[in-house]
Amino acid sequence: MGSIGDIFQRLYDMTAISSIIADPSFLLMYLIAFGLLYLGVVKHYEPLLLVPIAFGVLIANFPGGEMGVIQADSQGLVPLADGTMESIWDMPLHKIAHEFGIMNYLYYALIKSGLLPPIIFMGVGALTDFGPMLRNLKLAIFGAAAQFGIFAVLLVSLAIGFTPQEAASLGIIGGADGPTAIFTTIKLAPHLLGPIAIAAYSYMALVPVIIPLVVKALCSEKELKINMKEQDKLYPQNMEIKNMRAVKIIFPIAVTTIVALLVPTAVPLIGMLMFGNLIKEIGADTSRLFQTASNGLMNTATIFLGLCVGATMTSDAFLNVKTLGIVAGGFCAFALSIASGICMVKVWNLISKKKINPLVGATGLSAVPMASRVCNGISTKYDPKNHVLNYCMASNIAGVIGSAVAAGVLISFLG
Amino acid sequence: MFGLQLMLIGMVTVFAILLIVIYGSRFLVYVINKFVPAEVVAAKEKSDNVPMDVLQQAVSQITGGKGHIVNVTKLS
Repeated sequence: MGSIGDIFQRLYDMTAISSIIADPSFLLMYLIAFGLLYLGVVKHYEPLLLVPIAFGVLIANFPGGEMGVIQADSQGLVPLADGTMESIWDMPLHKIAHEFGIMNYLYYALIKSGLLPPIIFMGVGALTDFGPMLRNLKLAIFGAAAQFGIFAVLLVSLAIGFTPQEAASLGIIGGADGPTAIFTTIKLAPHLLGPIAIAAYSYMALVPVIIPLVVKALCSEKELKINMKEQDKLYPQNMEIKNMRAVKIIFPIAVTTIVALLVPTAVPLIGMLMFGNLIKEIGADTSRLFQTASNGLMNTATIFLGLCVGATMTSDAFLNVKTLGIVAGGFCAFALSIASGICMVKVWNLISKKKINPLVGATGLSAVPMASRVCNGISTKYDPKNHVLNYCMASNIAGVIGSAVAAGVLISFLG
Repeated sequence: MFGLQLMLIGMVTVFAILLIVIYGSRFLVYVINKFVPAEVVAAKEKSDNVPMDVLQQAVSQITGGKGHIVNVTKLS
């Protein structure tokens, strides 16, 4: 029987406090977690994503809690409790759960396997209406221009010493599509998954801040006042859709077939996106599948994705120069994607009689539908009658397809 | 050099796929307009007083059809 002092010492050692005092870097991670929680809960920036991610960060950084995702080295080796090293890829899931805790089990079963991003894409597809894009097909091309940020940052990252796989994973943040960023990083640079996922989702959450910044820097008031409805009246479209339901049902089947033939590596994302959309558009016959894909399954996947991504942000994995470089590079990719979409609209306006509001180019990145809502807010600020939401949605939805195709190209060349 | 090649291939592929989607969709619309009967949209009942109708329906729903609106007064 030890003395009272020994008992208190053991009690103290049992708590997380002793480890936190020994390594105060945990405190910084709590601050990051609280900051993200503040953005999600108080500022309402993407709360469905930021709240689980932030809570994942919080619970992953309590020493002894075994909720942080362990980082395997480049050969996939991880240290076991007995001091030996073993390849994580050779370990059965129950052993991962036993050795490293339940969060690692979830992470390796759901995220590292690449299961959740396509499931989330299916839910996104079920919640997406391709109608605005089909009514304004020409505007979809700006969804391609906005992918420039991905490749520009890839180029810069290669120049400053990232490997091609790491540079591609960093650049894909510019696609502004969380599941695409995660899917690409899992395939190319899985050791960077934590910071890349955090950067991608944080910047998506900060769309209401970043888009106005870039728009203000690049667009004049006159350009932002371009009224798309008036332009439509001046130069009417020569195509009328007589049976929108039939078009909407055939569209996802056709797009999946085209993309699968040309960029098969993009099929896990595009295929699931279009499947989700198809079961929505069919209507009553598949309404039960639609309900599951857009509600139960999507919400379950979001919870696990958010918590697991947050749990990858342990202090030792996050607080290093490379991670900070990823956060900075991700911002550049994001801003460049918005800027390139705007620039393409400006070029278009130079050669076309029918003028387009540059905000349509700014929404060429994914982040559906927040980017479109933000741009509609900007246009109505300059002219309360100028609603560009439907036009922005056209390039915004095309951006989802564009970023998934860009990811497919990167995976097929570097994977 | 490799990065530039990748950028060129990536951007060309993204533009090409979206152009195929755009012109493929136009062709799809053309074929559907030509061969599929036009969608019949049910005509909506016209009402001169939509807000009042909505309020009446809400009251009917809540009271199980027993309640009726007698008077609506704007508070401020």
